[in-house]
Amino acid sequence: MSLYDGIFYAFAIITVVSAFIVVLSKNIIYSAVSLFITLFGVAGFFVLLHADFIAVTQIMIYIGGILVLLIFGVMLTTKITDVKLKTKNINALTSAIFVIGITAVLIFIMLTTNWKVAEVVKYDETIDKIGVLLLTDYLLPFEIASIILLIALIGAAMYARKSK
Amino acid sequence: MEQFLIDTFGDNILTYIIMPVPVLIFLSLFALGAVLAERKVSAYMQDRYGPNRVGKGILQTLADMIKLFQKEDITPAKADKLLYNLAPFIVFTATFMGYAVIPFCSLYIGADLNIGIFYFLAITSLSIVGILIAGWASNNKYSLFGAMRAVAQIISYEIPTALAILIVVMIAGTLSMQEIVELQGGGILNWFIFGGPGGATKYILLPFLFAAFMVLYISTLAETNRTPFDIPEAESELVAGFHTEYSGMKFAMFFFAEYGQMFAVSAIVATLFLGGWQSPFGELIPVLNTPVAQIIWFILKGCIFVFVQMWLRWTLPRLRVDQLMILCWKYLIPVSFINLFAVGLYIVL
Amino acid sequence: MRKYFKNIYLGFSTIWIGMMITLKHLLFYKNITIQYPEQRLQLPERERNRLYVNIDDCIGCDQCVRACPVNCIKIETIKAVPGDKVGKTGETSAGKKKALFVPKFTIDFAKCCYCELCVFPCPTVCIYMTDVFEFSEFQRNDLVYDFTDLTKEQAEEKRKKAEEWALEMQKKKEAAAKKPPEKKVPLKPETNDKNKSDESPDSKSDDKPSKDS
Ligand code: SF4
Ligand code: SF4
Repeated sequence: MSLYDGIFYAFAIITVVSAFIVVLSKNIIYSAVSLFITLFGVAGFFVLLHADFIAVTQIMIYIGGILVLLIFGVMLTTKITDVKLKTKNINALTSAIFVIGITAVLIFIMLTTNWKVAEVVKYDETIDKIGVLLLTDYLLPFEIASIILLIALIGAAMYARKSK
Repeated sequence: MEQFLIDTFGDNILTYIIMPVPVLIFLSLFALGAVLAERKVSAYMQDRYGPNRVGKGILQTLADMIKLFQKEDITPAKADKLLYNLAPFIVFTATFMGYAVIPFCSLYIGADLNIGIFYFLAITSLSIVGILIAGWASNNKYSLFGAMRAVAQIISYEIPTALAILIVVMIAGTLSMQEIVELQGGGILNWFIFGGPGGATKYILLPFLFAAFMVLYISTLAETNRTPFDIPEAESELVAGFHTEYSGMKFAMFFFAEYGQMFAVSAIVATLFLGGWQSPFGELIPVLNTPVAQIIWFILKGCIFVFVQMWLRWTLPRLRVDQLMILCWKYLIPVSFINLFAVGLYIVL
Repeated sequence: MRKYFKNIYLGFSTIWIGMMITLKHLLFYKNITIQYPEQRLQLPERERNRLYVNIDDCIGCDQCVRACPVNCIKIETIKAVPGDKVGKTGETSAGKKKALFVPKFTIDFAKCCYCELCVFPCPTVCIYMTDVFEFSEFQRNDLVYDFTDLTKEQAEEKRKKAEEWALEMQKKKEAAAKKPPEKKVPLKPETNDKNKSDESPDSKSDDKPSKDS
């Protein structure tokens, strides 16, 4: 097992375990913190795949932005004095059936597919290409995405304003 | 450095463990020195002497460290034990991870990522999570308020920071820290605060770059929660902010992280605008371009900014929350956008 | 718009002014901290610090105890037996005679609030403020100062003597009570006479060493 394999498995274990905690934990804050670890683990995978830009974006947006917002929201909406941030498991039976079914299908696909192993791509700067592609081939989606975000921003600002 | 280690130990885990050790040693020494310096600077600014008993004052921080080691490690009864104990490590780790991309000299940089500065921005946002958890897990209203303020502040000021950094990145055309520094070689006039390398027309950019420099410095100051932006730990209202409940070694870790951040952001400012490890004399005096001299230049530049941080701290009063937000959204961000536009225009033309 | 730029300008200029002031202090101003153990301030003339009791002058009158608002002075007194002199001379330095032994005179400086109220009522000016203000201790009990000049054995001896004498007086009283016409009148002059007669030779004999010294 090479160093990279070791790191991969370490990240994999961290990610999977913390993902389980996200789902199973009864305490929302614990779930949020586990989500932090999960997202971090996923960023680690991106690094291992030489997708450095995506890895850092993952950290920046998901952890620095969304997760913080999430914890912030949970904290602001509960009282500090009585910590009752509990979640419940409902419909355990039906969800278990679905989970097992989907897992079985996925494993079946994984095992039966004839995977083609590609040559290991040499480490390459991705960021130049991403930048160029975003402003040439994918300019329209890029602009649409930015307009949607702008709309969301304006909408949020409108809602946040005090109605006079 | 990396190559040397790989040659010595082979390409295994040991190499990557040894790699950051010099930074850790440097950081510890820096924290010791900076705490003392801060106390001395503040004392002399107020016509006092500051610590001058334990070994003429020089060993005072060491004595304080020993004291902190011995202190009882208190976890409040109603605190969330697990998260409470986890938080200082997250904050410190996040700070230390930022050091991975700081180029100390031409031979030593933790990891010369080609997205270096972007990585730094992202990693520093990790410490927000630690601060939030610390504030929440302490189960103390002061901690929670402190954490909320800290997070609101850091998130807001990340925008001008990123915009100011972007200006340098636009001129340099790279995100790699080492390359940014290398571009600024050849004397003080090639530093990015003077427009970087280029012909005489680059001096048109001088006011914009200077403005960007100021914006970056101010917003990094806010990101490290230092006075005048220390409302997250405003002593007079919030006891100590998010680390109110922490004691002993865990408190020391927050403290360590704060000083680590101070140097980290100073180093980033120095790297982006003041040529990092480049000597201001360029090729004139070759001795000053050796790796050892480079380290000295770099630490010197960083320490000057740290000193200015202390200087500001002991000069200015604390901002109010609304003033803080006004400064960010009405002044720093518009100025950054104007800068961005102007520099973009220059590059396109 | 003008205001906007003015604000920016004002922000920078005022910060600059402030920073220059602190820089001036950092570089040029003399430090004014007094390095306490080595360097001391002149204490004010009427400072109030640790009390001292000159037990030689104390007549055990209890005035200071009553004056103290926090009850930190504790006194015990034993009547002096005729023929026994209190202290070296049996007199205060002002020549007032002392009739009481003071086997216990403690002041608890942990309680004392340094109000100086005990000083003024003292008829012999023997309790007064000194200029000692550094007397911290590790144990709170160590702050209880005892000013008496009698050892325990001595105090015990005096107490016995006083008791014996009191018994004697009791007997005399009873004897006197048997003589109905003179009840109280002889008692007082009797003691007084005895004290006087006792004291006069003592004081003379004790005067000599004091003169010598
Ligand atoms: S100074 Fe005041 S408190 Fe102290 S012993 Fe005298 S009367 Fe009592
Ligand atoms: S008032 Fe003076 S003489 Fe009287 S008991 Fe106190 S110290 Fe002694």
